[in-house]
Amino acid sequence: MTAPLLVAAQPQASFVPDSAGGDFIQLRDVYKSYGEGLVVMDHLNLDMRADDRLVIIGPSGSGKSSLLRVMMGLESIQGGTISFQGKSYIDGNARNHGKPLDVRLQTQVGMVFQHYTLFPHLSVLSNLILAPMKVHGLSKVQATEKARLFLARLGLESKLNAYPSQLSGGQKQRVAIARALMLEPKLMLFDEVTSALDPEMVTEVQNVMMQLAEEKMAMIIVTHDMHFARNIASRVVFCANGKVVEQGPPAQIFTQPKEPRTREFLEKVLHLD
Amino acid sequence: MNYQFDFHFLTGNFGALWEGLKVTLQLALVSNVVGLILGFGLCLLTLNRWFFIRWPAQLFIEFFRCTPALLQIVWFFYCLPMLFNVFIDPITMGVLALGLNLTAFNAEAYRAGVQAVPREHLDACVALGLRPWQRTLYVILPQALRTALPVLMTNGISILQQSALVAIVAVADLMYVGKSIATEAYRPLETYSLIALIYFALSLPIAQLVQWLERRQDTALAR
Repeated sequence: MTAPLLVAAQPQASFVPDSAGGDFIQLRDVYKSYGEGLVVMDHLNLDMRADDRLVIIGPSGSGKSSLLRVMMGLESIQGGTISFQGKSYIDGNARNHGKPLDVRLQTQVGMVFQHYTLFPHLSVLSNLILAPMKVHGLSKVQATEKARLFLARLGLESKLNAYPSQLSGGQKQRVAIARALMLEPKLMLFDEVTSALDPEMVTEVQNVMMQLAEEKMAMIIVTHDMHFARNIASRVVFCANGKVVEQGPPAQIFTQPKEPRTREFLEKVLHLD
Repeated sequence: MNYQFDFHFLTGNFGALWEGLKVTLQLALVSNVVGLILGFGLCLLTLNRWFFIRWPAQLFIEFFRCTPALLQIVWFFYCLPMLFNVFIDPITMGVLALGLNLTAFNAEAYRAGVQAVPREHLDACVALGLRPWQRTLYVILPQALRTALPVLMTNGISILQQSALVAIVAVADLMYVGKSIATEAYRPLETYSLIALIYFALSLPIAQLVQWLERRQDTALAR
């Protein structure tokens, strides 16, 4: 067996995969709204296994991004519970208003955003080693060594001392992925990471994600790229109005959707392609 | 115009002009140190989430932005001693008035810099597990300083010009010395022209530096 390229070799915690729904992540009855009018998570239930790659699709305003932002601890929920690796992670009724209860669990989640979030005043290397040094307490030598490794595997060695302004959009997103991987997350969240890219740069970023998929990284991906969704997903989840309408293997969802709403949505977006 | 220029009389006054220049530089430099440091503190106060901290800070800024600098200086020199029964030496008083004025303007420059940091960067900091103070120190502050730098420098030059206002309250700065020489020698044209040239020569390099910095930032953004 070859060594994993991007995911640091590590035992998958104390977690034992579950053949049924999966207890890597369990969302139960999760409720979130922005005021009265806009309910983005309406008593949502969702399960995920440690080797799952969920791709969430659905019309805009259906709460796809909200789900990721909640998992990352960027936004709170108003009801329900979320467990992560078998431990209570977020509780909508807790005193901290539905934000992550456990900072250690939170640091095991990594996220890449739609817009470029590399810090422009820091070189690629400094972007990569900032959090490992300040949060995980790695020495500069250790962190730099690790950063070299990740960049080399992404074919970005030569950009070690470049500044984000000197990179193409695709390179920026790849560095952003490397920056998140530096913290050895157990779960990666991708929020429309190729939406802001020029078409010719989309593939290089998607390839990195495919590489991660091959190494069994748990991922939740929000994307509008149905072709990519089909390739990378272990399970596609169609959300609308804050609820999971339908979920299943990509082949089933894309060719024989059961729900009329799923079919309607897919006809629209696939027609646009 | 058949005015006969005569700069010879100035040779005897170089010493006095030098003394005046030193006072002007002192006023400008110390005011800038005060303004750069207190300005950042004040900026943080205006961004505080608590209304009762934010509000007085904003009031302070508006007071200095919405009254003439000349009036502020006069007020500091005549009213402050009367109110508090304290008498501070004129240069310190000048530094206080100019420095606080600059503090208010610099606070706004810093604030614009902080608010120019994209929201997504704050999200990224959370995703990377950085604590709020680490986020401020390593991500927000360096970016805000960069954005604010040209404005901070422009404010700095403008306080050098504004420092001439202290001549009205008899602080012996460059302007004041110039005024004395002009009156004594009946040569206002030569004297004031020379004084203007000195202020100009002091400010121009800094103004050029600001332009260079702005050009550099523009090209960095365009990439």
